[in-house]
Amino acid sequence: MRTTVPVVIAFLSGLVLAVSIFFRPDKTIIGQLEPELLVWVTIIGGFTLFLGAVSITRVNFNAVQRRKKGWGYSLLTLISVFVMALPSLLPSTWSPLFGDAEGSIYDWLFQYLDKPMMATMFGMLAFYIASAAYRAFRARSAEATILLLTATLVMLWRVPMGEAFLRSIHTALPEWINTYVMNGVNMAVQRGIIIGAALGAASMSLRIILGIERTYMGKG
Amino acid sequence: MNFWNKIDTLDRRWVYLLVAISVILPFILPVKLPVYITPETQQLYDAVESLPDSSIVMLTFDYYPSTIAETEPMSRVALHHLFRKNIRIVTVTTVPLGGPSMAEQVTREMAEQYGKVYGVDFVNLGYKANYVAVLKGMGSSIEAIYPTDNLSTPLSELPLMNEVKNYDDIDFIYVVADNGIVDYWISIVNALYGTPVGCGVTAVMAPKFYAFVSAGQMTGLLGGMKGAAEYELLLGQPARATTGMDAQSLMHLLIIGLVLMGNIGYFAGRRQKGKKA
Repeated sequence: MRTTVPVVIAFLSGLVLAVSIFFRPDKTIIGQLEPELLVWVTIIGGFTLFLGAVSITRVNFNAVQRRKKGWGYSLLTLISVFVMALPSLLPSTWSPLFGDAEGSIYDWLFQYLDKPMMATMFGMLAFYIASAAYRAFRARSAEATILLLTATLVMLWRVPMGEAFLRSIHTALPEWINTYVMNGVNMAVQRGIIIGAALGAASMSLRIILGIERTYMGKG
Repeated sequence: MNFWNKIDTLDRRWVYLLVAISVILPFILPVKLPVYITPETQQLYDAVESLPDSSIVMLTFDYYPSTIAETEPMSRVALHHLFRKNIRIVTVTTVPLGGPSMAEQVTREMAEQYGKVYGVDFVNLGYKANYVAVLKGMGSSIEAIYPTDNLSTPLSELPLMNEVKNYDDIDFIYVVADNGIVDYWISIVNALYGTPVGCGVTAVMAPKFYAFVSAGQMTGLLGGMKGAAEYELLLGQPARATTGMDAQSLMHLLIIGLVLMGNIGYFAGRRQKGKKA
């Protein structure tokens, strides 16, 4: 029962959404089902976010309660989640500090803590990339050398200083890189990857609809 | 230990110091080298430029706060261009973490500059979970997916939304993103509903989308901060992206220099080992 019901739901939902595209929504029941199902999906999506909040609270609360290693971080996580979430859930009609509009507690925390911290974390990648490029990007083989030369050309082409340098060698060099590297070799390879990934996604969807793929239920 | 051995085993803290200097120095001593326009940026600019007065454009804020250095300048140039042309804007986001707040803040700030009125000239729909369903659902009815805007105002109370029922009423979709959502704007919205889609994406994502531009499924492409700088130049309003170009230039040159030095050190070391053997 625990396996059959989800498989039947997945089969029916997948089938309706796949078939409904061939039916007019204003004339047929199956055509009308599609927009209805899509609204359901967004509602279920909202519940999954709630489930995520419950899960993060449970895991971190347990860690704090049992004083597990690094429980201080769990406590900070819990404080962050609730300080950010609770005021934003309260109606802004009670106080301008509630809700998520400009001037609210949520907005203040987002603008002055969350946003700069996330940008800083991402910005730190520049240091690691520079260090990793210095250590790992070596012309050890013919393939690595081709990659190295192409990457160097594209990196030069993508910035004004590099572009000025390329133009000093030949005025049309940046346009050649755009035409032959980005719109040539790069595009051909990307098309192969995109088509391969799309075929993979289609076959995986079919496996789920037909009940062959069941890992989403925690079964192998 | 000779010079090249030392280069090969250089302490990473020196690399970090050079990176910090390369990023900070251009802001103190700007070089302001010319920015050249790529055909993909020109195509996006022309697509927006060719829209008639009072058209309706859907602008997306599909990015996380972590990439704002690259993506926010794109949102700003898009808003500049759209408001300047008296185009009405509907903003949406598929990113729960900060997407609605960033859309709200940036759009209202720009709208104030152009004297635009919320609900009449622009609307922020905010975020709804499960982006594939959201993108597909808006093809039938935007109101069914977003019964209210980001600040919980019913769509029926917003004059602009009385004219926008689904993608048939949208003239162009301007996607600014830092994640895989762009694929769905193309494969679901452009392919199924035929609405033209133009994109601004992070530099690391851009190579993937040349295939879509070439196929005509994407109308123009901004790649990273350079793309935004090119757009600023086309608008004649140099701003954040143009300022950032010097730092990015120096950073790219530093990485190329480091890779070059690393390789010279590597080959010099190998040659020495060969001689000893």
